[in-house]
Amino acid sequence: MSRRRHLIGYIASRLALVPVMLWLIASLVFLLLRVAPGDPIDALLGTRAPQAARDALRQQLGLDQSLLAQYGHYLSDLLQGQLGISLTNQEPVSAVIARSLPASLELGLTALLLAAGLGLAVGFSGIARPEGKLDLSARLFGIGTYAMPPFWAAMLVQLVFAVWLGWLPVGGRFPATLIPPEGSGFYLLDSLRNGDSTQFWGAVRHLVLPASTLGFLLSGIFANALRLNLRRALDSDYVEAARSRGLSERRVVLRHALPNALLPVLTIAGITVASLIGGALLIEVTYSWPGIAFRLQEAISQRDYPVVQGIVVVVAALVVAVSVLVDLLVALLDPRVNF
Amino acid sequence: MGCQPPHPQGQLVVANKSSLESVDPVDVFSFAGTQLLSAVGDPLYAADHRGQLQPRLATALPQFSADGLTARIPLRRDVRFHDGTPFDAEAMVFNLERFRQLGKLSYLLDDRIRAVRASGPYELELSLQRPYRALASLLSSINLAPVSPSAYRNFAKRSLSNRFVGTGPYRLASFSPQKQQLLPFENYWGPQPKNKGIHLITLSNSTALYGSLLSGEVDVLISSGLESDQQEALNARARRGQLALGEGPAAEIGYLTLMSQQPPFNQAVVRQAVALSVNRPLISQRVSFGLRPPLRSLVPPPLEGAEPPAWPRYNPKAARALYRQAGYCSGQRLKLPLTFRSNVPSDRLFALTWQAQLQKDLGDCVELEVTGVESTTAYRQLEQGVYPMIVLDWVGDYPDPDVYLSPMLSCSRSSGDHCLEGSSVAFGSFWDGPGVQALLRESEASSGAARRDSLRRVQQLAAEGAAYIPIWQVTPRAWAQAHLKPPRFDGSGRLLLQDLESRHR
Repeated sequence: MSRRRHLIGYIASRLALVPVMLWLIASLVFLLLRVAPGDPIDALLGTRAPQAARDALRQQLGLDQSLLAQYGHYLSDLLQGQLGISLTNQEPVSAVIARSLPASLELGLTALLLAAGLGLAVGFSGIARPEGKLDLSARLFGIGTYAMPPFWAAMLVQLVFAVWLGWLPVGGRFPATLIPPEGSGFYLLDSLRNGDSTQFWGAVRHLVLPASTLGFLLSGIFANALRLNLRRALDSDYVEAARSRGLSERRVVLRHALPNALLPVLTIAGITVASLIGGALLIEVTYSWPGIAFRLQEAISQRDYPVVQGIVVVVAALVVAVSVLVDLLVALLDPRVNF
Repeated sequence: MGCQPPHPQGQLVVANKSSLESVDPVDVFSFAGTQLLSAVGDPLYAADHRGQLQPRLATALPQFSADGLTARIPLRRDVRFHDGTPFDAEAMVFNLERFRQLGKLSYLLDDRIRAVRASGPYELELSLQRPYRALASLLSSINLAPVSPSAYRNFAKRSLSNRFVGTGPYRLASFSPQKQQLLPFENYWGPQPKNKGIHLITLSNSTALYGSLLSGEVDVLISSGLESDQQEALNARARRGQLALGEGPAAEIGYLTLMSQQPPFNQAVVRQAVALSVNRPLISQRVSFGLRPPLRSLVPPPLEGAEPPAWPRYNPKAARALYRQAGYCSGQRLKLPLTFRSNVPSDRLFALTWQAQLQKDLGDCVELEVTGVESTTAYRQLEQGVYPMIVLDWVGDYPDPDVYLSPMLSCSRSSGDHCLEGSSVAFGSFWDGPGVQALLRESEASSGAARRDSLRRVQQLAAEGAAYIPIWQVTPRAWAQAHLKPPRFDGSGRLLLQDLESRHR
């Protein structure tokens, strides 16, 4: 069978599993939410309302139905593309996600670019003299940034650059006194499209601290991955062969070792993108960034079942999509991969 | 201070911690929600900073029929909604009916009001379930601020979360959960706001809130959600003149509930001993730098019934005598199980501080065993009598003693001092005292000195029963940049956004 046919078969098998995975995830989150202590009425009213009022609200929100009936409605809605209605404000869950997801993606992608740029530069820097000072520093950088607690780093950055120096905003996604641009929900793109520099720079100023903090924390993964893979590649037979043919060390590294070392980094980038789709909770909470993780955390504390279920299902679908895409990309780029 | 961009001329940025999912009065119940509603909406009555009720959209206090079951309320004739349509009695009927049907807090009306009708173009008639003299206080609830019937025509049976068309001094110009813009309503019937607009923003953690005020990013910061040490640091700056501080009356109280039907608290003498064992001034100082003033009443001042306090002061000598009477102290220590809400920092601090205080002062008689549980779990299990003793808080829905006493003490069916059915069960005490229900009804139906007497007597009985032990009150605060006048609060503990202005106007 040709490689092309193998590839199509591989794609089909991966895609066929997607609905099963989503059903499992959707069912699991439905069940776990109901098993968890507390319910939306308690979260909404605390101890404040009499039993009759609590029962009335339970009925109004459809929580008086049997678990099986609720599950049936949930799955039936999901099959029709309906994610349900928020219990706290009766807003469609799809609208909640449409508002929060672009915020997380904008932050995540910017952070990823910064992380990749910084991490790859650091990972590459020590390659000339293995075990030298620069290499050791790169290794420490990789371990240090990976091990640093995100909330601590975020608060420190916030205190220094926003509170003490006052260079950048403490939190939020957009200047308080400006109306955010309408459109895709990606403020940088929307403000550029509107040609409004005040909006654009306002969005940039708010993005700098969370994106750099997140990027810095993620950069260690890239630095270590590149460093290790590049070292392995440089010790391999094909690099030795290239050197014995008299190629310059620069050409050996850039043309032969680096492309091979970057393939595992691509997989790591894919996994990182997938994890960032669900938002970086601690960064979002610290910087009051109204992303999907921030919203999910609020919805969990409010026991807003439809919002939690909707966010988990959508994020799971996107993560699966990105994982499949990365697998395909690696398979296409690396002839050693078998299907 | 840093290099923050200037705010538009005359407009102010006000920050607090809670985001806002809906601005519809039928949905709103959080502090952030009621704070916003108080700026864009107007209730029929409002409590001023001294706690006195003043007519807002009404022109006078309710006139009651001889049997106390009907109330007539005259309404203002010069009020317009933000969409330009006039406010009248029919609009108020639409709103009260809508709230009864959709309101998350609809029990506020259901329990009191039987029917509503417009007895004239500008006169409202309410039929009551039973005589209730504090009706004006109930109608001061900001959740009852009317919205325009024409704007909400399609939302009579569902809520409208992201728009608000009311009658308040501001109109809602834009809304998102983290940010709301308020602009002065030009056709407002009362005085115009003293600033040119407000941007309400949400910052999700205490450090960000604190930092945003210090960096000059926000003009005014509301204390809700701010850690006590940061509040104290801001107070210190205010004392040095670097910030302007405003304080409002407390709407929130912290208290202990003792499950009165299970050992060890089924003995009244043990409950009374516990009530004498709480060193409120010390705990308030250690937990909150004194920012949560001690409270010995279930009603926070300045509401009627708060004075004189019915619960005893800290008295370790008297407490020890009572513990001895119950058979402890002579080589046997009573284990007091205390549950606190693990997601409420002040509760955890209270539990640990009280534990240390008891160990030091009454260590030979009692030992406090503390356990944390997440708040929604605690609320769920409260009525099942799971917690022998738990620390909780309570916020009245409107400024009246009744909304503090009735929820904790009401009982519709009891056997001796054991409440079998009613609010006292939902609050986890299961306690009912002789004559308490009659006094609560008496308090509802009376006013003036007679009401004050009922409130005093009902609290006296509750203090003797000691199934609840008040600990502290939570006073709202706001800090403004030094170039602004000190912020002011209304009688419901909400910041008066329309009064925020520069000192150099």
